[in-house]
Amino acid sequence: MKTITFDQIKTSSIALEFDELIPDEIYSWTEADFAKYQVPIGNSRFPLTDFFEVTVEGEANGPDEVEMIINGDLNRVKYIGCKMSGGNIVCNSSVDLHVGAEMSGGSILVKGNAAAHAGREMSGGYLEIEGNTKEFTGASYIGEWRGMTGGQIVVGGNAGKQCGECLTGGKIHVKGNCDILAGIHMTKGVIEIDGDVNRWPGGQMKNGNIIIHGFLGRLLEGFVLNGIVVDPEVEGVTYEGKYIQYTGDIGLNGKGNLYLDAEANKEKLATYGELDDEYTSIREYRNL
Amino acid sequence: MEYILKNGIVYDPANEVNGEKMDVMFKDGIIVDDVSADAEVLDVTDKIVMPAGIDPHAHVAGPKLVVGRLYRPEDSRRGVTQKTKVLRSESGFSIPSCPATGYRYSRLGYGTVVEAAMPPLEAKHTHEEIATIPQIDIPAMPLFGNNWFVMEYAKDNNIEDIAAFVAAWLKLTKGYGIKIVNPCGSEAWGWGMNVHGINDKAPYFDVTSKEVVVALAKANEMLNLPHSIHIHPNDLGHPGNVPTTIETMDCVKDVKKGSKAAEIRDQVMHVCHLQFHSYTGNSWKDAASGAEEVADYINKHDHITCDIGQVTLDETTTMTADAPMEYDLFKLSGLKWANKDIECETAAGIIPCIYSAKNPVNTLQWAIGLELFLHIDDPWKVCLTTDHPNAGPFTRYPRIISWLMSNTRRMEMIENREVHKWAEKRTTLATLDREYDFYDIATISRAAPARIYGFTDKGALTPGYRADIAVYDINPNDIDPSRQYAEIEKGFNVADYTIKDGQILVKDKEIVKVKESQNVWVNVQGWEKNEEKVINNIMPFFTQYYSVKWENYPVHDHYVSNPIRIDVDGK
Repeated sequence: MKTITFDQIKTSSIALEFDELIPDEIYSWTEADFAKYQVPIGNSRFPLTDFFEVTVEGEANGPDEVEMIINGDLNRVKYIGCKMSGGNIVCNSSVDLHVGAEMSGGSILVKGNAAAHAGREMSGGYLEIEGNTKEFTGASYIGEWRGMTGGQIVVGGNAGKQCGECLTGGKIHVKGNCDILAGIHMTKGVIEIDGDVNRWPGGQMKNGNIIIHGFLGRLLEGFVLNGIVVDPEVEGVTYEGKYIQYTGDIGLNGKGNLYLDAEANKEKLATYGELDDEYTSIREYRNL
Repeated sequence: MEYILKNGIVYDPANEVNGEKMDVMFKDGIIVDDVSADAEVLDVTDKIVMPAGIDPHAHVAGPKLVVGRLYRPEDSRRGVTQKTKVLRSESGFSIPSCPATGYRYSRLGYGTVVEAAMPPLEAKHTHEEIATIPQIDIPAMPLFGNNWFVMEYAKDNNIEDIAAFVAAWLKLTKGYGIKIVNPCGSEAWGWGMNVHGINDKAPYFDVTSKEVVVALAKANEMLNLPHSIHIHPNDLGHPGNVPTTIETMDCVKDVKKGSKAAEIRDQVMHVCHLQFHSYTGNSWKDAASGAEEVADYINKHDHITCDIGQVTLDETTTMTADAPMEYDLFKLSGLKWANKDIECETAAGIIPCIYSAKNPVNTLQWAIGLELFLHIDDPWKVCLTTDHPNAGPFTRYPRIISWLMSNTRRMEMIENREVHKWAEKRTTLATLDREYDFYDIATISRAAPARIYGFTDKGALTPGYRADIAVYDINPNDIDPSRQYAEIEKGFNVADYTIKDGQILVKDKEIVKVKESQNVWVNVQGWEKNEEKVINNIMPFFTQYYSVKWENYPVHDHYVSNPIRIDVDGK
């Protein structure tokens, strides 16, 4: 096992790019190699040791045996763990754009917030952000129609707009609230949101599952009420309780499922008339 | 400056040089017979020396490319390089940035690339973009097949006025020749329709696509243009389009070649991306290859040449002035689609396309392309293209060369199920064991396109020609292309030397110099009075229907820096 520790010496106003400093590239590096390395900043490169003091302990025969610990203020460090396939990265601060983007394996723990595009297009591995994320968590890059295809993202706080855009696999779990258009264009995979959702989850979704344990502000017109389900099972996981199930987005003949916690969204059910204790046969209310 | 390329193994089909060990000399940008003792020696012992490549049909500049780049930012993420002391940064795979386009062609050993579709209204922009692409000469082909004036004249069978119109528009747009795309079909798209077959009429114009094609072919020969009409026939990409393709080729068989044109070229019609026009069947469910029938027609007739548009099984972007076809493709794939209308002239559509070896239809297209290459007996009638970027990016030419040179590789792909079984079941590819040799490759990628385009200064290593030369690190005496196909692909991937107009642009597989590109255009002489008459005739219509003023329409000289003007005696 090899532990590589980056201790920040100074910050930069222009973001440092860490996409070359992933376990796949640096598992065999020594401290001397880091001393020679020039890190990209904007359109130039500068010595990494101007910004970080690097300590290497132990040996590794591959990326899986590497643990990177990055200490300091990483608000201007981009692409941490971008395209990594193995190993473990711990960031003891908030991070800039593209953390864990296109990663295919390994794990990243961010002990703070993440800027936009966290876990963009990742295909495997585990990304945990203890704080909040901004836009496009686990989404596709601009213009691309294939987003995250595998792996798991856990956001401890709130997620920004368009979380899980074009999701084509994997799972995103947001423990806080979620902004608008979560799971827009998604075709597969699961988005679970513990908190409340602002508006319009699942716009133009074709397939996949969105589970919202909190309150939903507004639902898109393209979702058709299916009924109440009790303890629904989604991709092998059972969610206890009563959920209102919708199918959509019918504008695209979508067959995606949207589960809303029935307790938290009682008001929505009330629009269908008086409900008995078991919320049975909501279709009957719909048909009235 | 004098140079001598020493001890190379030369393939120069135009001069019937087939793998002879000899020296090639050039001085001040021109190939010469002899040089002085001071000439710089470039040692290319046992390496392949060919004229620089000529791509007869690609989409490298123009509004379609810009729309493609804008709405496919995900493509620009591929192929990114950093700038160096010599080069600007590159980006893009199927729609490379302008500098990347030039650099990559140069690395492949190419010197001339024809931009195959230039809407006259967007000619200014096309030339601005050509100016941004380094390294290569770029003739551009203005679109005439759906032009309202041309359709009106064709309805009246007024060939003389069409000829004058073409002569004028080549001057206005700084174009090279007549390009026809889905004649009458792109106009019909303005009404949400398409034409099917060559005898279908464009709505409101009362003219068939056959009449337009024949009229333009006659006008082309009347003007003695160096290139023949260059046609993308109707029904592209539709199963069962073989009859349309053959009728299109057949309709110009009686058109007589212009007396001066006959000296420099053989054909009266060049059919582009023939692969997309060689499908039988009624739908994709029962589609099969019509390559044998199409190739048989070409083998029996000398008035046709073609390029293939070989599918390379990559993710790419399709862009064509055949807008209704792009809409059909959008309906099939559901991927994002862009549409563009050019007033009174043409239309265009753009859509990403993922050609997958696991997909039966894509495999069928792949196999049909190779079948055409192998069924057409005379390599002088066929050119190597991918219809960049429609069937694949041009950077895949080396891979196509390796497929053509190795039956082993083709059979391996079929037998190991690297491609779908339709390649075996619905085409004759598995029964063809023909293999191209280096001489054939030099023909389809150099000599034939040069002859087809009537270039009298490129595509051969004849003294007096431009010194456009490519050297590849392959020893033909030491390699078995059939078995060592991977080495063939690797060898053709990056040229050892690319020399353009006597300047060494690529040396030891690295670009060492960047050269400004040059536009090549045809200036028809002797038609000035007719041109004036035609322009006066159409002016009321132009003023009424075009959203630009006549004064702003032509490509002014400052848009075309350093052009190569080819003067043609039209009378």
